[in-house]
Amino acid sequence: MSLIATGLDFLPEILLLAGALLVFLMDAVGIRRIEVVGSIAVGAILFAMLLVFADLGFAPVAFLATIPRSQIDIVPAVGSTPLYWFTSLGLFFQVFFLIAAFLVALASMSRPSRERGAAVFYGMILLATLGMMLVAVASDLIFLLIAIEVVSIPSYLLVAYTRRDARSMEAAMKFFIVGALSTVLSFFGASFLYGAYGTTNLFVLASGSAISNGAFGGGGFPLLVVIGYCLLIAGLAFKITLVPFHAWAVDVYDGAPDDVSAFLAGGTKKIGLFAFFLVFLGPVLLVRGTVEFQWFGGIGAVALGPVLQVVLSILAVVTMTVGNVLALMQKSMKRMLAYSSISQAGYMFIGIAIGTAPALTGASLQVFAHVFMKTGAFLVVAAAAGLGVGPLIADWRGMGQRHPWLSVAFALMLLSLAGVPLTIGFLSKFVLFSAAIEAQGYFVWLAVAGLLNSALSVFYYGRVLKVMYFDAPERGPVIPTSTEASVPSPGAPNGRGAVSAIGLGAGGIGYARATTIALIAIVIVALGVYPGPLLQPLAAAAQHFVNLAF
Amino acid sequence: MDFWTELDQWALLVPLFPALAFVIIGSLGERLKRFEHGGWVAVVFAGLSMVLGFLIAIGEMLGPGTYVDVHTTWFSIPASTGFPKGFSLVMGTLVDPISALMLIVVTLVGFVVMLYSIGYMHRDTGLPRYYAILSLFLTAMLGVVLADNLLMFFLFWELVGVCSYFLIGFYYAKPSAASAAKQAFIVTRVGDVLFLAGIFIYFSIYAAADPTWAASGFLFTNGNSAFLNLGVGVNSNLLTLAGLFLLAGAAGKSAQFPLDSWLPDAMEGPTTVSALIHAATMVAAGVYLLVIGSLFLGFTSIDDFAIVAIGGFTTIWAASMACTHTDIKRVIAYSTVSQLGYMVLAVGAGFAMVGLFHLYTQAMFKALLFLAAGSVIHAVTTQDLFKMGGLRKKMRYTAFAFLAGAFALSGIPPFAGYWSKDDILSSLYGQLATHPEYWPFYLMALATVFLTSYYIFRAYFLAFEGPTSREPGLADHAHESPWVMRVPMLILSGMAIVGGMFVFIPGFASLFDPALTSAAFPVTLPLNIPPSYPLIDIELSAISVVLAVLGILVAWRLWGNGRIAPLPRSRPARAMHHLLAERYYMKRAYDWIAATGAYTVARGADFVDRFVIDGTVRGFERTFAGLSQRMRKIQTGVVSDYAAYVIAGLIALFVIVLFVAPWLVSKLGGG
Repeated sequence: MSLIATGLDFLPEILLLAGALLVFLMDAVGIRRIEVVGSIAVGAILFAMLLVFADLGFAPVAFLATIPRSQIDIVPAVGSTPLYWFTSLGLFFQVFFLIAAFLVALASMSRPSRERGAAVFYGMILLATLGMMLVAVASDLIFLLIAIEVVSIPSYLLVAYTRRDARSMEAAMKFFIVGALSTVLSFFGASFLYGAYGTTNLFVLASGSAISNGAFGGGGFPLLVVIGYCLLIAGLAFKITLVPFHAWAVDVYDGAPDDVSAFLAGGTKKIGLFAFFLVFLGPVLLVRGTVEFQWFGGIGAVALGPVLQVVLSILAVVTMTVGNVLALMQKSMKRMLAYSSISQAGYMFIGIAIGTAPALTGASLQVFAHVFMKTGAFLVVAAAAGLGVGPLIADWRGMGQRHPWLSVAFALMLLSLAGVPLTIGFLSKFVLFSAAIEAQGYFVWLAVAGLLNSALSVFYYGRVLKVMYFDAPERGPVIPTSTEASVPSPGAPNGRGAVSAIGLGAGGIGYARATTIALIAIVIVALGVYPGPLLQPLAAAAQHFVNLAF
Repeated sequence: MDFWTELDQWALLVPLFPALAFVIIGSLGERLKRFEHGGWVAVVFAGLSMVLGFLIAIGEMLGPGTYVDVHTTWFSIPASTGFPKGFSLVMGTLVDPISALMLIVVTLVGFVVMLYSIGYMHRDTGLPRYYAILSLFLTAMLGVVLADNLLMFFLFWELVGVCSYFLIGFYYAKPSAASAAKQAFIVTRVGDVLFLAGIFIYFSIYAAADPTWAASGFLFTNGNSAFLNLGVGVNSNLLTLAGLFLLAGAAGKSAQFPLDSWLPDAMEGPTTVSALIHAATMVAAGVYLLVIGSLFLGFTSIDDFAIVAIGGFTTIWAASMACTHTDIKRVIAYSTVSQLGYMVLAVGAGFAMVGLFHLYTQAMFKALLFLAAGSVIHAVTTQDLFKMGGLRKKMRYTAFAFLAGAFALSGIPPFAGYWSKDDILSSLYGQLATHPEYWPFYLMALATVFLTSYYIFRAYFLAFEGPTSREPGLADHAHESPWVMRVPMLILSGMAIVGGMFVFIPGFASLFDPALTSAAFPVTLPLNIPPSYPLIDIELSAISVVLAVLGILVAWRLWGNGRIAPLPRSRPARAMHHLLAERYYMKRAYDWIAATGAYTVARGADFVDRFVIDGTVRGFERTFAGLSQRMRKIQTGVVSDYAAYVIAGLIALFVIVLFVAPWLVSKLGGG
């Protein structure tokens, strides 16, 4: 394959890289206004999104496609060990990642015009998005893990990019240390698998057939495989914040600047789920029992697939329950959202534990829904902080009267997170849980756990609604209690010069941010009411993905 | 296509009118001050909805047994292994005899209550919120009635519950109101989660039995054939479970034992809300669900027995508690629970249409009783029966209305309640030969007839009879209510008197005719024909009438003419009285369970809080001091904890994968 053809395949990624380099270049020559830098980033993301849509074959833009249809959803020839492959499900995830980046990039244009670090912020967003795009096309374990690192390193920087706020700095340090540990675990696990199979190609790993080719020769050594997969679960679980690998997430989401929290919770954590799709779907579906291990008297040989399914199911239930229970007692809005994000990861994980096409559809939908709901919720928190609302849930008293439109948007996002009908959040949970019911067996209990958990989550989302609409606002002028040094109240003199023109409008929220929030609210309802256009192709893509590789 | 069939295509408009009112009032709010803060908007749209609803119902009476299903696909999922033809969800309206009847009930009561609110709520603040949510409630309730598939039914069912929550908590400044709202929400929510689980099980059973059902969107009209295709005995355990879950959902909504305690507490809301939601419509939705379940989804014999048992027991359980309460609204609320028990009983015994008939009459006379009680409360500003008295002379219309409602509730011929209650009792009696296990519940239902007439006439005598009020000065300023409140009471009084006899009109009777319901669907169900007075054994009817009259006489002997019956002297009687006044201690038991459960959870949460969260937070605080110190803290303090969690998690993973999971797999038999 020629270099040009390969380059064309990766045109969206190249665009993002070019955008990032351009941003840094402009920073070097002294052009640092956030409107300019932000426009470049938004433009690059939008154009990349257009190209991915074209590759997916959406009618009006299909002529722009750079990847030939004949290369999408194709099983590689036997014996070939490609580093990457294009699947429609992967391309859909690329779209989800780009949407998250787009929403955050657009909303952040309402930050103060001359704020320092705009180039770092947008550059890192673009680079992290590049890494996320690569995760979605990986077909080799090492390629996948390196792509994850390409996401992680810009994420660490993003948390600390303001370089002033002590809390952000601390959050970044924690993020980095725990992140490094999980990276080590992942690579360690990969090396075990390499030891057992003699390759890191995901197809070969998925088939489980190469075990006799491993370094240990015929017969294989199943314990190596088991340890390898355990290490990989631990390493990747860090990304998607599964309990007990979640502890960093709350501090980081809480300590990071609001826009960055939106990007981390709405965007980057989703790569963990797709990584699980890639690494574990094969073994999970591998109930043929090629890989068996025999340890305990009386039980006999056990196939790896069902064992992994049980483990992933336990992780899913533990994660959603712990996330929900801890969210119940939070007083801080951002910490509540962080725990809610953890519990949502548990719902997504039901999909991988079951591993059927409808379950993958449900999990992907949940990812899509969560991109909008959680990004939106953190952006609303950012907007509210700009309006002088404090960090505690109690500080939101009377928001319904003070800022009716912002409150309606936030209420929609919370209702969607709670899974109330006619929102996208209901749809994704419905598909997910009905897939679990359909899978029969003990998976039905996953659906039951999910249902009980969503009933539980109504309490803490409902509490926020009650505070916003039923509790009377405090008397007297509201004192700005924003602890977010990086987001000063737009319009208020802040000693750092003019506020950007974009930052002034829309009732103090900023036009760009207000537009983003409105867009998110509309999508949550519109796709909740009429999900057909998304659901059909996504379900088809999931079916392809399951049929294809494994 | 003639006019009437054409009309059914537009059934969507019936819920859409109040939805419009909701949008208008919600967005204009206080700018509608001149229109009674939006009240007249709500009345007009409810009126339009009523006119259309009645026209549709008349069309149904003129063409008995027709059904029109208009729907559009909401979303669909392609075929997969579990669903060979895929499945889709649809949104649409189904007009059939049952929904036509429910349209009459909901739109009529909805309209009169809206009108009554204009007078009753006049002095309150926050009226735009009240009218907006009441309109939204009407939309949701009509959505439940017209839904043509189970999922859409559930969506509106949830919305109804949310509206009820907001309306019970309308006086949210009052702690008791806020707590009652929360209680109602939580109890019905428990039922709803179980109901949803039931829906999922039905989906999985029927989608497997009849793929076309799933592919066409779980329509009621197709559900029946799926049920029939299933054959007898297939998956019967699962089917039983689904039926029980459905029953739990219905019991939560219709306040059946043991989920009954929220309804009397829900009386904290405005009386108009009690009349509309907690007497006539929302609480009846549970019964409606059981009717739909028995017609389209299918119950097994175990389900049927469970339904009969819960319904039968609830009748006497709630009626006995109604005998000792002194709050006029709570007495009527217990009465509602008890009457809903009759309906549930009828549905469980296989007489879905008889249950619906009682639903219809009960909605009329119970809403009437609430409106009359509201009129009293409006005049004397207390709900305590022991403080009232002698109000008949000052409030003739109200006294007349209450009396009409009381006769109807007691089942005195020819009032409305007589026809439906007698129908239930005689239908059930007919089943006793083949189902001897129904005997205790039949006796309970029969005894309840006596209790019913006793407690309602006790309330009547206490409030309206006697020379004067027992609280000096209370009734001095009492006067008859304005016309907007009198007209609704008159309309409903008319219905309470003659509404039951409408079944002698052939067209109206066709709404209850199971033969015609079956004409639309391939069903064979053991249903009795409701306007069955000529068929009833005259002896049975005589027994229940005598019991009712006896109840009235006892009430008159103890409470008539302004008397206050002294508490009985004997110890067992006192203990009984105490038990009833304390609501059988069920409320306390629930509180105890909730408190203990919450305490245990809280202890666990506290542990996590102290050792995980708190440690982190304290770590935060410390780190604000000095960079170098902070770095040291991070490296030796909190972060290492997180790393430790990761390692601990890893070790747990090894243990699970190597030891726990294989064992589980061998137990569960894999995925």
